[in-house]
Amino acid sequence: MSESALRIHGLRKAFPKVVAVAGVDLEVARGEVFGLLGPNGAGKTTTLEMIEGLTVPDAGEIEVLGRTWAREGKEIRARIGVQLQSTSLFNKITVREALDLYGTYYPKARTTADLLELVQLNDKADAYHVTLSGGQQQRLALALALVNDPELVFLDEPTTGLDPQARRSLWDVVRRMKAEGRTVLLTTHYMEEAEALCDRLAIMDHGQVIAAGTPASLIAQLAIPSVVELTFNGDAPDPAAFAARLGEPVERRADLWEVPTRDPKALLPRLLETAEAAGVPYQQVHVRRATLEDVFLHQTGRSLRD
Amino acid sequence: MLMMIWRQFVMEWKLYLRDKGAMFWTFAFPVVMLLGFGIIFRGGGGPKLTVVYVQPAAQGTRDAALLKAMDEVQLKVLPLTPAEAEARWSHGETAAEVLPEGEGYRIRLNSYLMAQGGPTAGLVNQAWLLAQARLNGSPEPRRIPVSVESPGGKKASNYAAFLLPGLLGLNLLSIGLFSVGMVNVSYREKGKFRRLAVTPLPKWIFLLGQVLQRLTISLAQAVVLLVVGWLAFGIRNQGSYLDLVVVMTLGTACFMSFGFALSGFAETSETYAAIANLFFFPLMLLSGVYFTLDSAPHWLQRSVAFLPLSPFLSTLRAVFNDGAGLAGHGMGLLVVGAWALGAFLIAVRRFRWN
Repeated sequence: MSESALRIHGLRKAFPKVVAVAGVDLEVARGEVFGLLGPNGAGKTTTLEMIEGLTVPDAGEIEVLGRTWAREGKEIRARIGVQLQSTSLFNKITVREALDLYGTYYPKARTTADLLELVQLNDKADAYHVTLSGGQQQRLALALALVNDPELVFLDEPTTGLDPQARRSLWDVVRRMKAEGRTVLLTTHYMEEAEALCDRLAIMDHGQVIAAGTPASLIAQLAIPSVVELTFNGDAPDPAAFAARLGEPVERRADLWEVPTRDPKALLPRLLETAEAAGVPYQQVHVRRATLEDVFLHQTGRSLRD
Repeated sequence: MLMMIWRQFVMEWKLYLRDKGAMFWTFAFPVVMLLGFGIIFRGGGGPKLTVVYVQPAAQGTRDAALLKAMDEVQLKVLPLTPAEAEARWSHGETAAEVLPEGEGYRIRLNSYLMAQGGPTAGLVNQAWLLAQARLNGSPEPRRIPVSVESPGGKKASNYAAFLLPGLLGLNLLSIGLFSVGMVNVSYREKGKFRRLAVTPLPKWIFLLGQVLQRLTISLAQAVVLLVVGWLAFGIRNQGSYLDLVVVMTLGTACFMSFGFALSGFAETSETYAAIANLFFFPLMLLSGVYFTLDSAPHWLQRSVAFLPLSPFLSTLRAVFNDGAGLAGHGMGLLVVGAWALGAFLIAVRRFRWN
């Protein structure tokens, strides 16, 4: 079992109007939770769909659990679990029926009772799919992805559109998958989700992987591990003049300024002094650790959600 | 393998039975149509034509003779005062009216309702000739005797017997276009096919389960219609049941393939609905579902014979109403078969899961 769960090399896919994936290499070890992090349109979903066998790549190699789609597609399908970005089921199928039915598609299946317990849908077992809340539908989609006791699970933006509580409960299910020894590949555009769940991750932008590693190592790679934030009441003013006076780069983001720094202890008194002297109408000052968001910003010059 | 097809089939039925609204309409619509039109046109010759008779100030013998003669030629006469008649006319409800004018009468026809007005005027004139002969004491003109028979000569049938095969055909068309074509477009649009595509279930099993379920629906509909037709109007299959099954099977194959083929040409349900209606309404109106196209232009009659529904209905009616064998309808069967094959090939070429 030392082989990789997933190995892809030189993956490319172009659509008529856009190159969605422009040469992606990835390797995911068994038992690992691996994240693809990136803004909308970065090529995460297309990459995932090529790996899942839904989209045929223009070029590149994909090895899923040591198998290739061309020769062992049926075996791969039997051993992977997939949650698509949106899972559409029949409106009037009950949760129990959906799990039973999908179970019959596989050579081996977990019991429906087991799955209901896992995603905490016991009391909704006989409710029609159409009557479930967004979070419940997402949990059902997760249970369907686990119906065949898969070794490798793909989750495409599993928490998009969920409220914070539903998001946490989904995270718990993902952690349980890891505890059960499954390999998980998930996409997300929430950096806090990637930080909370992933052992390793790859940051994608414009169809390419721009950085990869553990969350900690990615942040550590940034030469600037801390960020000082000045918050304003309403939109932040143009920081150009202030930045020149301070002699440090200042980023403006909505209602705050960000000043990345290696040494917040040294910067802070100088910064406050300059702000006071320049009459900057800031409200509060925060010092925080750099996050994956800053890594993305540093690599691309853009914010994740732009 | 069979077990998997069976499970899909059973699940499709379960889901179908839960959609009470759709189910009610698929089964109730043809039955309501059959009962409604069958009862309205029960007399056989269709409903009587109505003529408004504008009452003269004082009724003379001539008026009485005309009224009597109009009744004899099977016109439904509605006597109204001039004011009432004018009100009805101005509301557009009157197709034809007879007004006293000078020494005689005038017939006024509604230009929008010439389909009823034309024949009504003819009958009124016929009645007038009869009345004049009587008033003059000359010998009554003799009419040509009329007999009503079904074309196959098996049994004098009524309009309901003509309509029933038409509704069977219409059912197949609407199941093909909407229950098969529309449903598949919406599955593709909503990504239901994609969720299936990541499982090891062969997709043809899913489709086969679906097609078999639609087949049993159309079979059940046919049985319901046949039973209602038999109980309400005494309509029975006059031909061989084997021939009936052959024609119905060919028709089902044709219209389901048709739906599958069309579904390959639309990305969204909205586009599909537009395309499907483009086919549905002309086929329904021009193929002789409710009435024959006898009076339509020759070129139109020739053209619809090459569309699938019209030859299907002629063959079905020949078997069902007239007890004919299939031998005489080779051309019709060939046309339906060609459409089935053509649509199937297009469906296979164009069908997409994504």
